[in-house]
Amino acid sequence: MIAAESGDSDACRKLVEAFLPAIGDLARSFKNSKVERLELLQEGVAGLLVAARRYDATLNTPFWAYASFWVRKAMQELVAELTRPVALSDRAVRELAQIRRARSEHLQMHGVEPTTDELSRSTGLKPAQLERLQATERIPRSTQEQLTDGDEATATIGDRIVDPAAEQAFQQVLDALEIREVRDLTEQLDERERIVIRAHYGLGQDAQTLSEIGGELGLTAERARQIEAGALSKLRAALSQSAPVGGATT
Amino acid sequence: MSSDGTALRHNALVYESADEYLARAVPFLKAGIEAGEGAVVAHTKPGLAMMREALGPEAARVTFVDVSGAYTRPARTLAAYHEVYVEQLRKTPTLRAVADVQFGPDPNEWDLWTGYEAVFNRSFGHLPAWVLCSYDANGTPGPIIEGVWQTHPEVVAGDSWNSSDLYEDPDQLLRRITPAPDPLTGLRAIPFGRGAEDLREQLARELAADKLSEAQTLDLLLAVTEIANNTMQHGGGIQEVRVGRAGGRFVCEIVDRGDGFDDPAAGYLAPRAGIGTGLWVARQLTWRIEFFHSPTGFTTRIWL
Repeated sequence: MIAAESGDSDACRKLVEAFLPAIGDLARSFKNSKVERLELLQEGVAGLLVAARRYDATLNTPFWAYASFWVRKAMQELVAELTRPVALSDRAVRELAQIRRARSEHLQMHGVEPTTDELSRSTGLKPAQLERLQATERIPRSTQEQLTDGDEATATIGDRIVDPAAEQAFQQVLDALEIREVRDLTEQLDERERIVIRAHYGLGQDAQTLSEIGGELGLTAERARQIEAGALSKLRAALSQSAPVGGATT
Repeated sequence: MSSDGTALRHNALVYESADEYLARAVPFLKAGIEAGEGAVVAHTKPGLAMMREALGPEAARVTFVDVSGAYTRPARTLAAYHEVYVEQLRKTPTLRAVADVQFGPDPNEWDLWTGYEAVFNRSFGHLPAWVLCSYDANGTPGPIIEGVWQTHPEVVAGDSWNSSDLYEDPDQLLRRITPAPDPLTGLRAIPFGRGAEDLREQLARELAADKLSEAQTLDLLLAVTEIANNTMQHGGGIQEVRVGRAGGRFVCEIVDRGDGFDDPAAGYLAPRAGIGTGLWVARQLTWRIEFFHSPTGFTTRIWL
C-alpha cells in the first residue's frame, strides 16, 4: 500500500490486482448507466490509486472501507460526465429519434444489434455523423442488453459472459496502469545521468563507487561526481519551478 | 493586492446547487477574462464539462484541470496547483481560478485538508491570483464548512460576499490542528559521513536492506539531500541520523546542531525569489515531514 502510494509500479500492480474483484463488484452497481464496464473499471482503478496515495494507515480505517469511497466516486463522476444531458439542436434530436427507430426495427427483425454501416444505410446518415450522435446518447451495446427469465429481468448478456470478459477487461486495466500511473523521476535524466545515479545508489543493481562507475564509462571519478551533481540539480529544478517574476510582481 | 499585503485573494464559494455554482463561478471568470486575466477551472470531470458548456465560446480562453486525482497529500496538491498557476502566469499577468476541493469522508483526515486550505494563503501569497475554492454544501459535513470560514478571508454564500469573522491566522490554525510528534523509540543511529553524498550512500544501503523500491529510494535520497543541505547551511551541521520503521513506513530523522526554527508552513511555501526551495522539494517527495525540538536537538523527521 505504502509503496503503491509512492508510485512504485510493482506495488501499484499488486494493489490493483488485489482489489480489481472488489472494483468489479462496485462497477456492477452502475450496469444500468450505459457506460462501458471497461471504462468503469479504469476509473475505479484511478480512484483506488488516489485512495492509496491519500490513505493514512495510522488513522485505523480499514483500507477498502476508505478506498471504496474513492472508487465509487470516480465511477459516479465518469457516469455523470458521460450521461449528462447534452444540449442538442432540433435537427440532432430528430436524427437521434431516427437512429433509435432504425435500431429498434433491426433488433426486432434480426435479433442482434445493427452495425454502424447497417444503421448508416437505413437512416441515410454518414457513419461519422452516426457515431457523434450516438456518443451524445451512448446507446447501450449488446452486452448490456437485459436478459429475462420469463417476465423477470435477471442479468445482462455481459454478466453471463463475465469471466472471459472480466479477465480481458482486468488485463486491459492493468496494461493501462503501466502507462498512466507510474511515476519515474529518472525519466527527467539523460542516459548517462541515469547510469551514474542508478549505479552509485544501487537502484536495481549493486551499488558502485564513483571510481568504478567512472572506469566503466571511461571517465574520472570526479567527472562522474559532476554528472551526478548535475542530475540531482536537474531533478530538484523539475520539482521547484518558480512563478515568472513579471507575473508574481504585477 | 489584498489588504494584508499579499498578492493572492483566496476566497470560497459555498453553493447549494449546480445552478448556483454556475451563477457565481461563470460571471467571476468572465469578468476576469474581459479584464485580460487568465482563467482556470479545477474540478472533477463532470464539473469541467458543466463549466465548459456554461462558459460557451469563452471556454476557449480557460484552462481546465481535472483534479479528481490531485488531492492526495497537501504538499503534492499545492505543487500540482502551483504548476498550473505558474503556467498560466507565463501567459497573463494575473489569473482567476475556481477550484473544487476534494475532501474525503473520513473525519480523521479533515484537519489535514483544512490545514491545506490554511497554508494555501501563505503558500501562494505572492501570486497575483484570485482563487475561489468551491464547496458543495449538500453532503459536505458541518466541520468542513466551518473550516472553510476559518481558512478563507471571504466566503460567497447565498447572494453576497461575506468577510469571514472566523478567519484564523494560517500559522495559528496550523499549530492548533497539528499534533505534537510522538517520540519514536524503534529508530537506530547510522553513520552519516561528512556531507550529503556520504549520507546518501549510507542511506541507500539502509533502504536496499529494507527492500524499498527504486522509486522510493530515489525519492528519499533526494529529500534527504535537501534536508542535509539545509542543515549544513542553517543548522550548524548534522549531529545524528536515525532510521527505522514506524507505522509501516520507513522513517529517517536528521538532528542538527542549530537552534532550529518554528514555522508551521515550512516546506509548504511555493518557490519564489528570496526563499529556499529545499523543503518544498522534500515535502513533495515524501509522505510527511515534521520539524521539532527533541532532547537530542532540532529534529527533522521524514516519513517515506
